[in-house]
Amino acid sequence: MSAYFIRLPSLIVILLLAGLRSNAQQFLIPDELILQHAGSIGYFSAGAGYKLFKNERGNLDLLYGYVPASKGGELHIMTAKFAYKPFVIKVNKLGTIYPFNPGVFLTYTLHKDLQFKFSKDNWPKGYYFWSEALRPHLSFSNEIEFSEPKFIKAAGLKSVSLYSEFNSNEWYLVNYFQNVPEVSIKDVFKLGIGVRLRF
Amino acid sequence: MKIFTILLVLSGMLAGCNAFEYSPNQTFDRNSPTNLNKTAIDRLMSVHPTNDTLKFILSGDTQRSYKEIPGFIEKVNSLDNVDFILVAGDITEFGSFKEMEGYAVRIKKMNVPVITIIGNHDLTGRGRESYQRMFGDLNFSFVYKGTKFICHDTNSREYKYNGGVPNLDWLSQELRPSASVQSYIAVGHVPPLSDDFDQQLVPNYKAQFEQTPGFLAALYGHTHTYLASAPEDLFRYVVTGSIENQEFIVVTVINDKLTYERVFY
Repeated sequence: MSAYFIRLPSLIVILLLAGLRSNAQQFLIPDELILQHAGSIGYFSAGAGYKLFKNERGNLDLLYGYVPASKGGELHIMTAKFAYKPFVIKVNKLGTIYPFNPGVFLTYTLHKDLQFKFSKDNWPKGYYFWSEALRPHLSFSNEIEFSEPKFIKAAGLKSVSLYSEFNSNEWYLVNYFQNVPEVSIKDVFKLGIGVRLRF
Repeated sequence: MKIFTILLVLSGMLAGCNAFEYSPNQTFDRNSPTNLNKTAIDRLMSVHPTNDTLKFILSGDTQRSYKEIPGFIEKVNSLDNVDFILVAGDITEFGSFKEMEGYAVRIKKMNVPVITIIGNHDLTGRGRESYQRMFGDLNFSFVYKGTKFICHDTNSREYKYNGGVPNLDWLSQELRPSASVQSYIAVGHVPPLSDDFDQQLVPNYKAQFEQTPGFLAALYGHTHTYLASAPEDLFRYVVTGSIENQEFIVVTVINDKLTYERVFY
């Protein structure tokens, strides 16, 4: 993994946070704690969520995920997600529903058999066009945010959200687009579920 | 609350159809089949042959061509007296277990057993582990109707030409004379004429087969286009066209003589 590869995303993350966060003084302090099951970023993953833009419709999530050997690992996965919530439905005495939130995310998987790039010393340029360790994903999620019920305030939280998220990646989408209708869209979108605690 | 109920029901349904994924780089999930090559060979052995003629199919490089598999299956199933099918590697593009599953699910519709050999694409990422769990060993052999099939990993480039692939020691063991074997057929993915095959090993590799009495031919994929040795070559080989080019090879062995024909569909 080259230093360039670490520095560039870090710079993007910091610029995003500094530029798009409403509270510019505390731009590095996360708004949310996130726990997720599956969704192609680990058997379980945990991380921090940042609200973006003045209207807080954007989300930047940074997570670490783990897949144990018993579930097809062992894998350690770093994830950076960006998503936007274009639709908002207010529900009385409950909170808010975000029915369709498109997004993109990147995963970097740490494992001895996964290289960032196929080495030029061994494979001619373009022999394999993808990265084994770095994977771009497309996602869409739906989320219910509970902010009104009393027990949430009592627990010292602003809100608790439950979400489900579908994602696909460039491997699966290449196979999908080349094989419609033999390969169906539900074969290439994978599910995860999670919870966000806003404090 | 109606929406909440719908979402709950929807999530339950999706969980039921195995949409949960932990990583594209996991090597299996709870629905992944295991030991498919052993199952196929056991099935082949369990049927008592009604004649001595050996007839099998050589195909390869299904890779991203899922759409072409049903047509291939239909054509193969329409042929008479086929004993089994050899798929000479590259059943995936990206070496992922999901692609291997996609292939495994589809070839179930084949009327006869399918035996799958490892290709270079199948070795990328964590493909080696996924293949070993789903299909079995990378080097393996079986004897059917007096012919020994030596299926072996020839993807030298994926091992950075470490000198161990193809495994010449293992091959020489497999080529030792045996009372139950009259002839030998080798099956691999990368043919020796390709740079992806360790060129330093080629002379010894070919010599081992040439010096074996009863060696009929070596069969490969990888190039996606048909190729074959010249009649005067001691090392006889056939490379099949790929499934995307809608071609496969039918091989027949009668009285220790091998003939083959290209089939287009």
